[in-house]
Amino acid sequence: MNWLNILSYRHFPIYAIMVLFLGAFLIVLFGRNRWARHILAFLSVASSLAFLIALVRPVMLGGEIIAYWMGGRVPAGGYAIGIALEVDALSLFFGLLIATAVFVACLYSFRYMEHDDNIPQYYTLFLMLAGGVLGLVLSGDLFNMFIMVEILTFAAVALTAFRNTANGALEAAFKYLVVGSIGSSCILAGTILLYAQVHTLNFAQLSALIPGGLNNATKVAFALLFVGFCTKAFLVPFHPLAADAHGAAPASISVLISGVLTKSGLYGIIRLVYFLFQSMGLGTIQFMLVFVGSVSMFVCVTMALAQHDFKRLLAFHSISQIGYVLSAAGLATALGISAGLYHAMNHTLFKGLLFLTAGAVLHKTGTTDLGKLGGLSKKMPHTTVLFLIGAASISGIPPFNGFASKWMIYQATYQKAVESGNIGFLLVTIIALITSVLTLASFVKVTQSVFFGRLPAAYENVTEVPFGMRFAMGIFAALCVVTGLFPDYVTRWLTEPAARAVFSVGQYINDMMGAGYAESVMGGLAPAQQTVSFVHVGVWSPVSWLLVLCIMLLAVTLAAVLGKYDRVSENAGEKVPGKYDLFFGGEESVYSQVGGGDLFWGFKHNWRHYFRFMYDLHSGVVNDYALWAVVALSLAVVFLQIVL
Amino acid sequence: MILMNYIVSFFLLALGMYCIVTKYNLVKTVIGLSIMDYGVNLLIISIGFNPGGTAPIFTWGELTPSSFFVDPIPQALTLTSIVIGACVTAMSLALVMKLQESYGTLDTREIRRLRG
Repeated sequence: MNWLNILSYRHFPIYAIMVLFLGAFLIVLFGRNRWARHILAFLSVASSLAFLIALVRPVMLGGEIIAYWMGGRVPAGGYAIGIALEVDALSLFFGLLIATAVFVACLYSFRYMEHDDNIPQYYTLFLMLAGGVLGLVLSGDLFNMFIMVEILTFAAVALTAFRNTANGALEAAFKYLVVGSIGSSCILAGTILLYAQVHTLNFAQLSALIPGGLNNATKVAFALLFVGFCTKAFLVPFHPLAADAHGAAPASISVLISGVLTKSGLYGIIRLVYFLFQSMGLGTIQFMLVFVGSVSMFVCVTMALAQHDFKRLLAFHSISQIGYVLSAAGLATALGISAGLYHAMNHTLFKGLLFLTAGAVLHKTGTTDLGKLGGLSKKMPHTTVLFLIGAASISGIPPFNGFASKWMIYQATYQKAVESGNIGFLLVTIIALITSVLTLASFVKVTQSVFFGRLPAAYENVTEVPFGMRFAMGIFAALCVVTGLFPDYVTRWLTEPAARAVFSVGQYINDMMGAGYAESVMGGLAPAQQTVSFVHVGVWSPVSWLLVLCIMLLAVTLAAVLGKYDRVSENAGEKVPGKYDLFFGGEESVYSQVGGGDLFWGFKHNWRHYFRFMYDLHSGVVNDYALWAVVALSLAVVFLQIVL
Repeated sequence: MILMNYIVSFFLLALGMYCIVTKYNLVKTVIGLSIMDYGVNLLIISIGFNPGGTAPIFTWGELTPSSFFVDPIPQALTLTSIVIGACVTAMSLALVMKLQESYGTLDTREIRRLRG
């Protein structure tokens, strides 16, 4: 055994996880000194990212699956007795997303958190959270996944309550802890039910043994695990927790909760349905995923429209975008998976950027209330430009990255509808389009009420945020533009290998358990490796789409300028007739300042019953949220008993 | 005998959920979480139990194909799960204390500044 072996890339996955936990430990010891903790935190996140980037070549491009058995305890006698890490392209894809988001959030925290108390504890929890999520996606052992889920839940709860004097921070943390613990208990119960059936916890061996031996117990385990991971991804009906937690947590933690925690839940769901149970061939399971995804997509975007708080609004959008990803991943086509993963990546980038700009606004003004803010573009020009890039990305405007991935999702759902002849998938395309329009609408509202309009007198002395924070936001913005301009490179190097990994379960099992294991255990059931090939339509040239958009914008502007005659002049104190009619813009008003809730009054008035109903439903009582969790669990158990 | 364990463990799970959903006192919510944990722990330890098996402690050479012992893995899992359960209780009680300080009540129906 050569000592140089420890430098082999096969060890990199465990290093990437360990440096984060080691950093957390060292910051407890030496974190009192400001420079010591900054250097330690930076070294941890940077080296973790570097280790994962070094794995791109063998895993993404070479198609290798790294099976790393702790302590060299390889499987004996057809049983996985050791604890394993496994890194295939899917794990690495999520790992890279997580490491990137953690790296940028850490850079941002240096200046953002400098006025808080107990900063060493903040970095310790931050690195624990990062290590937990990274450990989850790189782990090849179901129980290990549960441990990592618990670590990240605790760290996230503690960080949500970190600014415990902030409005609602404690309350949000408690609600998150209660429902999150129900989810964790579900994951543990599911894990142990699977163990009772097949006596192994290793992912590859479970994937080989379960699909052939489905019984009532494994079906219940499926439901428990599915609901558990849905809690972690904050899908409907767990979305109120996300909104509470994001609103109360520091902005750098909101980035992790929205960009990273939700991804860990998605990763769990993809592993569960494509690997453990290999049930995506069934139309009913596809229906389940697409249904949950579409409902999350639509419900959360309408909830976001009604919000008056910057970060709460972003939080609901976050879950709406996760709905896109799940819907696309539930299509069980190569294009669908690829589109979903692409959107997951973009979501981490643009949502991270948006949360950081919200944090910048909070840092300087001390509030995120849309009704109180306004006109900040004069005082914070760089933040405004960065926010506009993020808003354009999430709304799917070319040439930014949201456009490319949303286009792929429309194409994937439409193609699925054509191939399967099922009109329901066409409905998903339509919901996705409507959601995208509503997303744009609510970001127009945010842009107007935070960055444009009249500057309140209280914020006359606001200045631009420090360079360190702008630099972190700039990294996200640059990545948003790059991944939007070169969709073909992104799909070729990142999402296509990951999509290929999703469809090669047999190879995954064999690489872990030894060659021939999948064929011998699963017999004729062993799934053949599916080829991943698809043609993009139109997505190839985002620049030409930008031109089309500009021409259309010009036409609309021209029409608006020429059509002056139907403008209504609004004078102070005078009631405007037709205020509650549907309107198409162009009202002249004495105040250009539009309150957070006021820009779409016509739309909101016409939908007032729906918004009222949703407001009453999201009562804020933790018992209600727990009840939703229990109902979701019972529905999942019954549904899966029937269809599997 | 072992069937009773399974029934009780799922009963405890359901009881814990019932407690969380119906009780309006924060401390009772925390108790509900603990009961759920106990249910899962009982389930894990029952799965590893073999009637008549010995303790799974062997030195080199003692282990023969005819050895009959309880499954050691669930025991390790239960220990981990108990530790995690204790963490959940400790952390949620700490939050309950802070909530009592800042809201002046333990009623979940009044702790709802974040809604809609």
